[in-house]
Amino acid sequence: MTFHPKRAIVILAAAYSLGFSSPVIAEELIYGFQAEEFEYRAGENGEDLAVWEIDAFVGSDELKLRFGSSAEYDLNSDKFETLSSQLVLQTPISDFWDAKAGIRADTPDGKNRWYGVLGVAGLAPQWIEVDADLYFSNKGDLSVTLDAEYELLLTNYLILTPSAQIEAAFSSDEDVGVGSGINSTELGLRLSYDVLDRAISPYIGVVYEREYGQTANISKSEGEETSAWQFVIGTKLLF
Amino acid sequence: MKFKNTAISTLSAISFTAISLLATPVAFASGSHDDGHGTKKSSIGVAGKLADVDRVIEIKMYDNYYEPEKIQIKKGETIRFKITNAGEYVHEFNIGTSTMHMEHQEEMMMMMEHGVLEADKINHDMMKMDMGGGKTMDHNDPNSVLLEPAKSAEIIWNFTDAAKLEFACNVPGHYDSGMMGDVVFD
Amino acid sequence: MQNLLPQAAKLAVIAAVMAANSFSVAEAGTYNLTVDEVQIDTGNFIKTGIGYNGSSPGPVLKLTEGENAVINVTNNLDEVTSIHWHGLILPYQMDGVPNISYAGIKPGETFTYKFPVVQSGTYWFHSHSGFQEPDGAYGAITITPKRREPFRYDRDYVVQLTDKHPHSGARIMRNLKMVPDYYNRKQQTLGDFFSDAKKNGMSATVDDRMSWGAMRMMPTDVEDLQGFTPLINGKGPDQNWTGVFTPGERVRLRFINSSSMTYFDMRIPGLKMTVVAADGNNVRPVKVDELRIGVAETYDVIVQPKEDKAFTIFGESMGRTAYARGTLAPRLGMTADVPEMRTSPLLTMADMGMDHSNMSGMDHSNMKGMTSGDMKGMDHSKMPGMMKKANPFYAKGSGLEPVAENGGKFLSYSDLKAQKPLYKDREATREIELRLTGNMERYIWSINGVKYDDADPIELQYGERVRFKFVNETMMAHPMHLHGMWSILDVGAGKWDPVKHTISVAPGTTVYSETEVDAEGQWAFHCHLSYHASAGMFRKIVVVGGPDKTAETTSHEGVTQ
Repeated sequence: MTFHPKRAIVILAAAYSLGFSSPVIAEELIYGFQAEEFEYRAGENGEDLAVWEIDAFVGSDELKLRFGSSAEYDLNSDKFETLSSQLVLQTPISDFWDAKAGIRADTPDGKNRWYGVLGVAGLAPQWIEVDADLYFSNKGDLSVTLDAEYELLLTNYLILTPSAQIEAAFSSDEDVGVGSGINSTELGLRLSYDVLDRAISPYIGVVYEREYGQTANISKSEGEETSAWQFVIGTKLLF
Repeated sequence: MKFKNTAISTLSAISFTAISLLATPVAFASGSHDDGHGTKKSSIGVAGKLADVDRVIEIKMYDNYYEPEKIQIKKGETIRFKITNAGEYVHEFNIGTSTMHMEHQEEMMMMMEHGVLEADKINHDMMKMDMGGGKTMDHNDPNSVLLEPAKSAEIIWNFTDAAKLEFACNVPGHYDSGMMGDVVFD
Repeated sequence: MQNLLPQAAKLAVIAAVMAANSFSVAEAGTYNLTVDEVQIDTGNFIKTGIGYNGSSPGPVLKLTEGENAVINVTNNLDEVTSIHWHGLILPYQMDGVPNISYAGIKPGETFTYKFPVVQSGTYWFHSHSGFQEPDGAYGAITITPKRREPFRYDRDYVVQLTDKHPHSGARIMRNLKMVPDYYNRKQQTLGDFFSDAKKNGMSATVDDRMSWGAMRMMPTDVEDLQGFTPLINGKGPDQNWTGVFTPGERVRLRFINSSSMTYFDMRIPGLKMTVVAADGNNVRPVKVDELRIGVAETYDVIVQPKEDKAFTIFGESMGRTAYARGTLAPRLGMTADVPEMRTSPLLTMADMGMDHSNMSGMDHSNMKGMTSGDMKGMDHSKMPGMMKKANPFYAKGSGLEPVAENGGKFLSYSDLKAQKPLYKDREATREIELRLTGNMERYIWSINGVKYDDADPIELQYGERVRFKFVNETMMAHPMHLHGMWSILDVGAGKWDPVKHTISVAPGTTVYSETEVDAEGQWAFHCHLSYHASAGMFRKIVVVGGPDKTAETTSHEGVTQ
């Protein structure tokens, strides 16, 4: 589909009058809230974590404003190991792909960072959902994350979702425990069941996290494990 | 139309035997026929003679209905039907039992599929074609007449028996949408 | 001296008096409709919706050809509403499309529609505002003709279908925008993969899945919206709407598909249906075993149950995810067997616009998986049906082409011939190509790749005859509805081509219809699937020019009180 700059402006203008809806056909703003992960994790090394990855958006086919939050909260130490918030504008660039640009703020219990975000998200052939982001921090460091997942329908309600996430950095930022090169991978396998439409889909699963290279060394020096199997239980949400 | 096995074989052989039944009026007219309910058998009547005519009944054929839609007959009466097609489509006036009409409808459907019959005209050349054994698809039974728009014709019919009869148009779809009338015996 | 008054002038006076009389002779039927919040009980769930005169569906509006209808519509909602008289030929200000015909009806206001009733047959009315129609704002219209109809019946029933969903229309739209397959619970599963692999071989099955996966399209994408309860005249399958007959009577059933999204395959096991009208206009009667009714279409059929027993009116949704069920019975309370639904169809590469007959240049080694995939689910006992002429209104090899359950006759558009053509046949003055386009993954629907909000109106010249060329480039069927003017569907029957208001264009097909531009003003033209129209498969038509103004009499403007 083609992008209409005129429309984008109209939509931005319309964002001022949220909730206003024209009496007929004029397209309404769309909005939504989604929690892809909203879960408790118990790790083999005694990890005890609350984890979420949620996002909310408002906008149109042509332009969406998207807020995302992801966090790992350590229930043992009552600390956010990670807490990341992201605000991006998202627009289609092809039939199946969107481009994103915006900002990200990492505000865990520890050092904070600001990043600029550039990314693409979309659907690759064979139904693989892909989300790739490039971050440049206020310290001048450049890093990338790549997310991919696939939904395997065991039935039309019972769904097995393998997922993979890779984080890499082009330079190290030791204050936040990041080394250069591939930092970490997270492989997940979640079995969910749609109990209420697609709004509430509880799941159980396993996650394997592993750190590499300099990042792993930093963790080791802090007395942390660099790989862990975790059992997860949680629910997907979509409203 | 639902092809019964017999219909399929007839069609595939393109023998038109089913259609050529139309050209065997005597068997049609004077035979005994089931009244459709399998209870009693009675004759639909025979072709009448002009000299024996008791009454004249005028039948107007419209799209897709008759006027009148019911006729009163006394057993044994000979009626001279004056039939006019006042519609824009081809219509038929055919005296028979509902079972006969249903069978005839399949034949008419085939005529339509083979282009012998069009909605508003009859391809007389095709009808007169020799289908083998001197049989044609000509529609010349004494109990029926097939008329193009604005055409008229007459039928003289002797209702020998108080059978359960209908007059009907068997052009595809017409009977089912209500182009038929009852023959009511006093 | 009075005798010297010229004869011509006298005649003119008489003519004027007569003209005035003949105008007032036409009866003015007055009808009142209120638009209300109502409770809708489907037997499976109860929801709040919108209705007319306190119920959904609203009352059957019984008009008479030749009368001047006066319809007072009072809006008891707290939002703007509107009523569109679907299929009625009337002044555009009375057509009821907000922002095109008029401003709509504000809460608390009464709008008076006034228009002459110039046609007869079966139609319907519905709100043209937001998602009020899928929320329940619809009703039937029957118009008694001035002249005798070309068919006969003893009973007359409206059989109005809808696909009532527990979610509100706005919610459904938002869900589809978020997750386009939100409601598709007929997707191919791991189990299907293994059973296909067993049937067709592992590599063929992998090829099949890969070829669909490469396009990021689903062969199961037949119904965007599932999870609804089909209703007949407001009654769910268990509530069993029943029409009573005396054996031997001819019963006229006026099928109206008022669904938001769902096509139904209608049959009455044990009875043949003689189709006598389509979209309100009489067609040459054609006897069928089953027919598919697209969204917004109407079909009138005559059935003649002769036995003293009940018959089930059975309407499977095209995707076989739900069925409508009612009963024709000699006495209330009698029921007949309710058939099992058939297996869900799967789209084929033909539906994706890849016509196999045009694929000679293609490498057939790539086709292996596709063809064997296409054969899947085909019931070989139905093979005799294949001997019949293929339905030209489906792509060759389409997975959607319907087959009668009993192996008999399934109505095709090519069977529809006007009983009495409304217009003289003539060459179209020009052709307008309308590509039906969309992006299922984004749930964007458009015409020529442009959504309604971004599109300029289509200008038509008053008096011209345009030929619309619909090219369906999507994998879904779209029922295209032109307001205010008839669509003469090209079935190749020349002057007998049927006259419709809604034309369903199956995936992978090109369909032509012609319109005599004989109505001035501005009109809506859109896919009648609620969520496709709302997503942008919609156009405004502007008719430039008009009839000689001096010949015009009074205007038919509505009044807001």
